[in-house]
Amino acid sequence: MDISAAALTKRYGPLAALDALDLEVQGARVMALIGPSGGGKSTLLRAIGGLELPTSGALAVNGVDPSGKDGGLSWRRRNGFLFQQFNLFPHLTAYRNVTLPLEKVHGHAPEKAKSLADESIERFGLAAHAHKLPAQLSGGQQQRVGLARAIAHRPEILILDEPTSALDPEMTAEVLELIGELATGGQRIILSTHEMGFARAVADQIALIAAGKVAEHGTAAGVLESPREEITQRFLSKVMRFA
Amino acid sequence: MSARPGAQRLLLEAAVGLLLVTFVCALFWWVFANLDTAWEWSRAWDYRAHLLDGWGRTLWISLLALPGSCLVAGLLVAGSRTKLRTVSWFTRGFVELVRGMPLLTLVLIGYYVVFAQKSVSEFFHLDGPEGKIAAGIALLSIFTAAYLSEILRGGLDSIPQGQIDSARAVGFDRVQVFRYVIFPQALRRVLPALAGQFVTLVKDSSLLSVIGIMEFTYGARTYNSATYGGIEGFIMLGIGYLLITLPIAGFAHWMERRFRYTM
Ligand SMILES: Nc1ncnc2c1ncn2[C@@H]1O[C@H](COP(=O)(O)OP(=O)(O)OP(=O)(O)O)[C@@H](O)[C@H]1O
Ligand SMILES: [Mg+2]
Repeated sequence: MDISAAALTKRYGPLAALDALDLEVQGARVMALIGPSGGGKSTLLRAIGGLELPTSGALAVNGVDPSGKDGGLSWRRRNGFLFQQFNLFPHLTAYRNVTLPLEKVHGHAPEKAKSLADESIERFGLAAHAHKLPAQLSGGQQQRVGLARAIAHRPEILILDEPTSALDPEMTAEVLELIGELATGGQRIILSTHEMGFARAVADQIALIAAGKVAEHGTAAGVLESPREEITQRFLSKVMRFA
Repeated sequence: MSARPGAQRLLLEAAVGLLLVTFVCALFWWVFANLDTAWEWSRAWDYRAHLLDGWGRTLWISLLALPGSCLVAGLLVAGSRTKLRTVSWFTRGFVELVRGMPLLTLVLIGYYVVFAQKSVSEFFHLDGPEGKIAAGIALLSIFTAAYLSEILRGGLDSIPQGQIDSARAVGFDRVQVFRYVIFPQALRRVLPALAGQFVTLVKDSSLLSVIGIMEFTYGARTYNSATYGGIEGFIMLGIGYLLITLPIAGFAHWMERRFRYTM
């Protein structure tokens, strides 16, 4: 997975959520974004996922401009996305949440959509909950369904924005385990997380995003164990204090 | 906690229910016993064709104005949500204009000014009594649509941005985001308000008598003046409207239960 951002900027009024951000990533399997709250991780992920049109600058992911020609639609269809929460459509069952995009976006016949959905639902141990509505599922189950939906069409890149930060520790563990399995299976992933131990375990590259810029970027071991930048050192000592 | 809260609760419900029924019956008895007008159900029976005719016309007007108002409301919502500012302002202005007028005024202006134009009435083939009814249905549809469109717009605006993000993230295009995610959720949220508006439509149809449409209220009034009839005319009027409005309300409640998704 290659990511190339040059002077990437996203403004919300006077505020620059991404402030002339530069990033060169080559051959990453799992890329983790860490950093202080409000630093711009979500904004960068939304730009990478083709959900947000940058104000200026250039961005290419695997050689593609994510919000290119059709406003990012075809890029979004190629990839999978999971947010912190409220991913599922509350008026549809867990099962329908997975099959509807397979039918309407990826053009699979209902039978084919069903078999693809069954595959990812069973893989995540959700068969017993498939016919429930999201409101009848626990937070962890909801995220697992969201994950099942995000990978059902075999995405090129799976983009996860703090997938566990709305969950309690037990549910966090069950979701992280699944993400770890996907990574082991070869799924290319880019995620933001506050779980440093998890980032260390699954990511091969890590970037620390602060104030709309990349403060430090390198291998997971390098950034987490021997950070070069002072801002990274301060951030890590803060988040590790109670770890 | 008692060992069998279910049985106790049932007893309480029965007792309170009995009390309420007794109270309502007593009230009715007291009210009607004090009236000096006599019941004249035999005259009502003689005029049954006339009354049923009016009721049927009200039913038909309602049944046609209902989808008509939905259609116009759909256009108004689409108009108010287009990116073209002039169109959305124009649409919202129109909605406010219609909502700011009593239906009576709208019907009078609509019928005696707009549909009175020869070109308009000829274009829509509106001469004759059927034409009058068609004009009435159109006016009632437009009036109701103004309210429906505001209810729908509120419902659509209430869908959180997160749902729209998720829908875009799974790859839905603009139309699909609306069709599969925003609209179904919005519709369920506003169903009770929509049902109320449909019931209002049925009742509002009584105002079409001002342009000489012989609907149910008109029928009951002519019955009363022709027979010097008593209150039985009004009683029938009440029951007649309930026969149309209660099924609408019942259907809406059924839909609400059927499509509930919040626990
Ligand atoms: N839609 C928006 N409108 C206005 N400001 C926004 C919007 N989205 C993000 N921002 C601002 O942009 C900045 C970066 O936000 P972003 O969500 O990318 O941070 P983050 O690193 O993901 O933080 P967190 O760890 O809390 O999720 C913040 O100051 C935020 O308030
Ligand atoms: Mg964020």
